[in-house]
Amino acid sequence: MSKMVNFGIDLGTSNSLIAKFDKGQVEVFRNPNGFKETLPSIVGFRNDRIMVGDSARIFAEKDPKNVASRFKRKMGTTETVKIYSINGTKTPVELSAFVLKELKNFVHSGESVEAAVITIPASFDTAQSNATKEAGIGAGFKHVVLLQEPIAASLAYANKEKNIDLRNSQWIVYDLGGGTFDVALVKIVEGELKVIDHEGDNYLGGSDFDALLVEKVLVPEINRQGTFVDLLGQMKSEKGKYNTLWHRLLLLAEGVKIDLSTKTSGEFDLGMVRDFEDDNGNAIDSLLTITRSEFEELIKVAIDGTAEMMKKILTRNSLQPEDLNFILMVGGSTYIPYVRKRIEEIMGIPLNTSIDPTNAIAVGAAFFAGSKELKAEGSFKKTSQNKHQIKIRPVYNRNSQESEETFNAKIEGDTTNLFYRINSEDGAFDSGLKVLASRITEDLPLREGAFNLFQFRVFDSQNNVIEVGFDSIQIAQGRYSVAGQMLPEDICLVKDDLSTKDTRLERMFSKNCILPTKTKFTVDVGKTVIKGSDDEIRVIVVEGPAEKHSSTNKPIGILLISGKQINRDLLKGTEIDLTFEMSESRDLTISAYLNGTGQDFSQIFNGKLREVQPRILASEILHLEAKIQTEIDDAIENNNQETAQKLDKLLSQVQSLFAESDILSADDVTDDRYKLEDKKRSLAQEVFHLTSSKRLDVAKADYLETKRSVATLVQGSGNDRELHQLREILALEQAFIHSTNPERIQAATDSLGRISYQIRMRMPDFLIGMFEHLVGERTSMNDQIQAKQLIENGKRLVTSEAWDDLRQVNGRLWDLMPDDERSPEDTRLYTNIV
Amino acid sequence: MALKPRLEAPKWVLNILNNIYEIEQKLLLHGDQGNANRNVEKIKEAFLSEGLFYENPFGQVFKETRTDLDASISGDSTENLVVIEVIKPIIRFGKPELSQVVQKGIVVVQTKEEEITL
Repeated sequence: MSKMVNFGIDLGTSNSLIAKFDKGQVEVFRNPNGFKETLPSIVGFRNDRIMVGDSARIFAEKDPKNVASRFKRKMGTTETVKIYSINGTKTPVELSAFVLKELKNFVHSGESVEAAVITIPASFDTAQSNATKEAGIGAGFKHVVLLQEPIAASLAYANKEKNIDLRNSQWIVYDLGGGTFDVALVKIVEGELKVIDHEGDNYLGGSDFDALLVEKVLVPEINRQGTFVDLLGQMKSEKGKYNTLWHRLLLLAEGVKIDLSTKTSGEFDLGMVRDFEDDNGNAIDSLLTITRSEFEELIKVAIDGTAEMMKKILTRNSLQPEDLNFILMVGGSTYIPYVRKRIEEIMGIPLNTSIDPTNAIAVGAAFFAGSKELKAEGSFKKTSQNKHQIKIRPVYNRNSQESEETFNAKIEGDTTNLFYRINSEDGAFDSGLKVLASRITEDLPLREGAFNLFQFRVFDSQNNVIEVGFDSIQIAQGRYSVAGQMLPEDICLVKDDLSTKDTRLERMFSKNCILPTKTKFTVDVGKTVIKGSDDEIRVIVVEGPAEKHSSTNKPIGILLISGKQINRDLLKGTEIDLTFEMSESRDLTISAYLNGTGQDFSQIFNGKLREVQPRILASEILHLEAKIQTEIDDAIENNNQETAQKLDKLLSQVQSLFAESDILSADDVTDDRYKLEDKKRSLAQEVFHLTSSKRLDVAKADYLETKRSVATLVQGSGNDRELHQLREILALEQAFIHSTNPERIQAATDSLGRISYQIRMRMPDFLIGMFEHLVGERTSMNDQIQAKQLIENGKRLVTSEAWDDLRQVNGRLWDLMPDDERSPEDTRLYTNIV
Repeated sequence: MALKPRLEAPKWVLNILNNIYEIEQKLLLHGDQGNANRNVEKIKEAFLSEGLFYENPFGQVFKETRTDLDASISGDSTENLVVIEVIKPIIRFGKPELSQVVQKGIVVVQTKEEEITL
């Protein structure tokens, strides 16, 4: 089977596209450096780089000496474009070849584009057509087929509407793009599509409408609202006071123009513009509205002008509008409803808007390419093999602390007529095409704290990729660097644990985490803090293993918020947003936002100093004493005399600390507080050590007991989901049951408990038992009348065995229980955050 | 080897993020008496947890090699450019340490005015 051309290219004055025919379908390729199908037909030569497309477009207006655009109009002439930065000239053919070569990069499948159908305006003469063909050969295509744009658009339509008979038809292709307008009469003559006549305007398109919006609507409106001396002049002048505003309004105008295609009015929202005021310093309204009819009035003259061109064509060809089948609308600006309405109104014949006006020409070219056999005629050479014997020896830092890293490489082999290009994988950097020399260097921008990946490619003069055995640059910035500052220990937040009536640690930053770092937590207030009282919230941050106890770890920051500092009562259960930041020098910033009062509190703790407050220290010693006392009671109860004796000794040592703590003043300037804190922490660690095996044993026993009961329950009354949940926990059992961390075992026990609760809540006996318990608590409930009604209802539900409804009644009764009944925990809290 | 096609986020998601950015900027310019910025932060965190976040390139250097910005140049010079206006932020998808641009920032850039040192 012969090979087909398959690729179709719309080589436009403003924008170009590439599409491919494959098995009856056409795919329009997307720009890898943008989020669209188009490539601006603009080539820039700045700082030893060749930039094609969007990067060049940005500089087109302000750096015309180094950036070439609209060169399509010069095709087939002897005119050249002077490029100052390379101290030379480029022909329109060479510039077009750059655009075509760049389009090859759009083909994401990586297949080489050996041939293409390239579209040309109907107005192109032989010299211009030949020049276009030459550009294609220059871009490395071995076969170039030219196709007139109106024909391409018609083919896109014919292939979309395959069932419509177009024999003996004629129509007009109306092409209004971003910057140019073309109109052509197309006819089927003896079975072949032909352009009979054409007209056009090289300086009419959507961007002119944007400028009109700003100039004729917005500027007069702003002038009405304030006092300006030559606002428009100051906006349009490069050195003008309001030049930045001009660019901003043009960008906004494009969005408003699009909005007006679907809405009857659009808004210029200038709320983000700083200091938007007139020459006298008076503010201007930040919301300016424009109606669709105002916009339509603006573009009316231009659209009527396009209709005149169509009429001219009809007159020249002795035709009446009704001799045409339709007007085929192409180009992005034909999305504007008024353009459609006005053309239909003037011409009095139906419009055809069934094809996508933005890519119709490329699509039509691809359909045509799918039917054209590939014949080699250019100087195409298969150069993807590394016949140049290129070897790359890269030198660069794989880890960096900088915001930019220099990539250097030594190149061995024949680099004549070769180029290289570096693109970041995240889409934020493109070096452009640069000449490959024996040594190359490129500054690569790095994202902070990120793994930066770049693609390195070498191209021949036709933009074919050459395999050189090196294609990727990887640089880890900041956090991945081994030179970075690492945390030697976990940093944890101390929280109250209502179930154990103790505190527990929540890990904020893990050991070996790279600084600087930041994290956020939302916690709840454990007990209401009354405005003006001495009650307080303690945000305590400690350094040390997260599986240990707060008293064993080193305090590094304590943010205290007392009842005297708050502007209203801080209710139990309201949220506190906590933010913790640790700098490279380990300064800790704790910030707390109280959602209940709307207040912010923040404090920075010096990384070189320990945070020990005598008052907090005293309360910690007290807390430790109480804990040891409980542990002693426990040990005696379990007949563990040895542990009880050891704990007893520790108790007397802790009690001796009271005296030392008492004599510490709040503003003590000596290091006594640190010595005392060291002693307390050392004692706490011993207590933790002595009791860890006990807590582990308790946790293990609790887990095994719960496992037994839940397994029985699941077997008897569980569903598939609960069986699966149980199996998941058991699968991990070996990992946590042998750990030295009681909290991990406890977490598994809690998960088992949740399965048990799910099942029990479906069991009539459990629901009845719960209901009876709640009935017994009726007298203490908050709303006696409601409680009575619910209980009566519940009794009826028990009789009728309506278990789902009974579950709901239980829930509502539970809500009526007083707070301390619902959570009978000891209300003496240490941090007051849970 | 061709470049990978860019990831694309749904337009409605980008639209929401662009509007959050605008709200954030307006609060910054016109004051935030109702503490609405906290809500903005929470919405941003919710998007971040789904891998979407935006960056404000205000004040950053602009070069022709940057492909995460769509810039208009204000003034007559094209050297030493910095971002002076951000109409739409850069939107990224992924984790902060490994992400991709899903929306280019739309900005106005201008030559940085040299600071006069006495």
